[in-house]
Amino acid sequence: MAEEHTSAAGQPLQEAVIEAQEARRQGFNDGQLTRLFDHFKREWQVYAMLLPTIIWFLVFLYKPMYGLQIAFKDYSIFRGVAGSPWVGLEHFQTLFTNDQFLRAVGNTIKISALNLIFGFPAPIILALMFNEVLHASYKRTAQTIVYLPHFISSVIIAGIVITAFSPTVGIVNTIMGWFGLDPIYFLTRPEWFRPIFVGAGIWQEAGFGSIIFLAAIAGVSPSLYESAVVDGANRWQMMWKITIPSILPTILIMLIIRIGNVMEVSFELVILLYQPATYETADVVNTWIYRQGLQSGQYDLAAAGGLFNAVVAFVLVMTANTLSRRFSRTSLW
Amino acid sequence: MAGVNLSKIVKAYGSVQVVHGIDLMVEEKEFVVLVGPSGCGKSTTLRMIAGLEEITAGDLTIDERRMNRVAPKDRDVAMVFQNYALYPHLNVADNMAFGLRIRKMPGAEIKATIKDVAEVLGLTEYLDRRPADLSGGQRQRVAMGRAIVRHPKVFLFDEPLSNLDAKLRTQMRAEIKRLHNRLGVTSIYVTHDQVEAMTLADRIVVMNDGAIEQVGTPMELFNNPANTFVASFLGSPPMNQLKGTLTASGVRIGATEIKLSSAISSHAGRDVIVGIRPEHVTLSAGAQSSRLPIMLDLVEPLGSEALLHARYEDATMVFKVDTNGDIDHLSGVSEVHVPADTVKLFDAETGIALHLGA
Repeated sequence: MAEEHTSAAGQPLQEAVIEAQEARRQGFNDGQLTRLFDHFKREWQVYAMLLPTIIWFLVFLYKPMYGLQIAFKDYSIFRGVAGSPWVGLEHFQTLFTNDQFLRAVGNTIKISALNLIFGFPAPIILALMFNEVLHASYKRTAQTIVYLPHFISSVIIAGIVITAFSPTVGIVNTIMGWFGLDPIYFLTRPEWFRPIFVGAGIWQEAGFGSIIFLAAIAGVSPSLYESAVVDGANRWQMMWKITIPSILPTILIMLIIRIGNVMEVSFELVILLYQPATYETADVVNTWIYRQGLQSGQYDLAAAGGLFNAVVAFVLVMTANTLSRRFSRTSLW
Repeated sequence: MAGVNLSKIVKAYGSVQVVHGIDLMVEEKEFVVLVGPSGCGKSTTLRMIAGLEEITAGDLTIDERRMNRVAPKDRDVAMVFQNYALYPHLNVADNMAFGLRIRKMPGAEIKATIKDVAEVLGLTEYLDRRPADLSGGQRQRVAMGRAIVRHPKVFLFDEPLSNLDAKLRTQMRAEIKRLHNRLGVTSIYVTHDQVEAMTLADRIVVMNDGAIEQVGTPMELFNNPANTFVASFLGSPPMNQLKGTLTASGVRIGATEIKLSSAISSHAGRDVIVGIRPEHVTLSAGAQSSRLPIMLDLVEPLGSEALLHARYEDATMVFKVDTNGDIDHLSGVSEVHVPADTVKLFDAETGIALHLGA
């Protein structure tokens, strides 16, 4: 008679083998499961703190991805997402033959390029300048003043900009008047929109953005500066040869993030500052999507525009990250 | 090459004085080590010489030129920092060239200088590497290379070996010594490690609480410490210090009398601190030695030697004895013998060394 083998726990061997196979099929064995359970039990506070972020990501970033499919459907709010018929790439064909959309893409790229050229270095320059200020209370006061606009709502910022550039009461036109220049209604002139928009963005965010670079500068070992002082370097040389190279990894990380957001021009501020007269230079992809989606009810076309935006941003951030990793050993991941 | 003279140097931060008017003359080509516990003012003194700290009062001269108000770059000193202070974004060659480029030395000359120094320091094959790709010892050598390429009048070392492990520290110590012998540049070296001080220095400056306790050659300080602080700071393990009272022929420690070689009968009855170096005791009696009964606590073998941790009455002591290849016989030790001519005496109140009847 065949002898029935038993496991250490007295369980018939065949049963134990089946259980082990099942566990392996599920990707875990008992030991791994126990370790995982112990790990969660030990570190539950950390996971509890992580939970709100995970929920936020799931609700606001992952769940909406379900709706992305309407970019490939003839969407009707009455039929719903699932009930609307597929139309393939029809909306994308429409997009790339739509002059307004192509103009919006062009404007987005131009405004982003200006933002990158003038807006990105601004907080770095500001941080370097703050780093050179030796008087502590003066430094604190100046920092508070330049941080403040960040905490002001975009609506207020837009209000300030509109007032400042007003042809009747605006300070800019008033000053121009002192020099005998005729007033200009800046916000109705397409050629002025981009400089004003980029300038307002710098004024609002450069101060706050400098915090991260100031933190990076604070991390530079003081002995590097002391060594340079003994070697004979002056403050200008120390800034160029020590401070800037030392914070370069932070600058590159911020640049990669910024490049990833190239298609995300500050939508609120554009909406608040532009008007039909300046659409020619002010209308960006997001404002076009807003008008198509919410104002004209073409949700499927708007979704296609949004998806295009996201794909471009994804490609840009991947490319920037790869280049940065290859040439400077710095990367986001 | 140049001598460095510190005259009544004071450093104060607001109302807090941390260096209290020190005087020190460092001769040309001399290797002087400032040693002392943390917070004794040795690094501050070095930084004042470098020009990284302002001198509150007193005079600093290098090569007979007053340097108090001279910018660090014009003092012609080079400093090696504790954490190496290497620029992480530059490779070894560029790190070493940094000071030369700042001084606008021609490129070809820079290249030749770096090549020479890299050969001396064994860094030739690492010139293209960044500091992150180097070991601790290599980084330390780069830091020294950066100082050497400038051919300064004075080298300043601020605890340059303290970030290295024990084995590497020993190697680098020897390299620094060899380098000094070869270059002959006046060097001032700060450390809290008395072994580094003993092995490297032509003269040691022992500092404590912002003041100089004693200046002398390593053996002068070891054999004739000026006070109990110096006696306890130099030597490993440190000198055993026991309370005693002078008698007509020696010194009484508790119930035991230790014979002394000098005539001290006129001082009988005076309270003293008796200093016995751990390595000076023997396990067998000598002609001029006194027996000291001990309670053995622990034996720590070191190879050819062993440390005996022992108690005598209320005092704890450490002795260093030869093992002769075997430590079994040490477990039964119940007494040590103290040679009369090795005992040091210090004033019981001030801790200052006594030279009675000498």
